[in-house]
Amino acid sequence: MSLTDFSGPIVVEIPSDPAALFLVRCLVERLAGRLGFPGEDVSRMTLAVDEACTNVIRHAYGHRTEERIGLRFLVTDERVEIHVRDFGPPLDASKLAPRDLREVRPGGLGLHLIRSAMDEVHYEAPAEGGCLLRLVKYRTRREERAQ
Amino acid sequence: MRVNVEERRAGVFVVTPEGDVDMSTSPDVRKSMEPLFRKGTVQVVVDLSQVPYMDSSGIATLIEGLQLSQRSVVRFTLAGMTPSVEAAFDLAHLKDVFEVFPEVVAALVGGKAK
Repeated sequence: MSLTDFSGPIVVEIPSDPAALFLVRCLVERLAGRLGFPGEDVSRMTLAVDEACTNVIRHAYGHRTEERIGLRFLVTDERVEIHVRDFGPPLDASKLAPRDLREVRPGGLGLHLIRSAMDEVHYEAPAEGGCLLRLVKYRTRREERAQ
Repeated sequence: MRVNVEERRAGVFVVTPEGDVDMSTSPDVRKSMEPLFRKGTVQVVVDLSQVPYMDSSGIATLIEGLQLSQRSVVRFTLAGMTPSVEAAFDLAHLKDVFEVFPEVVAALVGGKAK
């Protein structure tokens, strides 16, 4: 049985506690590795999901550690889609632009890393509140998909 | 997290974090590194060979170190990046901003960064 034979998505919930982020990294790393992504993509996907959770802890929950972060992994033959769900206040869309990398300063790198690491990044505002970030990585290269 | 600080010779310090450097542990690296940027310090080398993973908080901490080093005229170098840390620096387009050496010994002898 391959992982894509799962009868449904993989759903995990973690506390909004930075100490729990290593578990997310372990999960993404093992899953992406088992799905056959090359090592570089495994590192990038791991970084992207970790950064997404870090942003939730920092911006949606203001460093409160008792909130929840929902993670959902949907695997198909074509791609893996990772949902990062929070229940904080709605995001200010104007704050979602990655910063100019020519500026060498400490903050604002996370969003750039997420966008660089994944093939698609979508922010959504569910009717029930909070934010849903959808991260997509294709299992085949763009040129292979075009054929 | 454990962060070792060793003065290899007068004014030359090697800072070695052990473990993942992320949102929860980067303050430990900052706390160990910041006091080294003072009068009498010649060089600070951050040895990343024991860091399997680093996120943007860790990279931000190293940018802060770089900025402190420029203000205090201390040489600031990175050494021993693991592949996953190197991948994060590549994605951030920041590798060229730092002096990066394959290992601490090369950073200490004052060679040219790769």
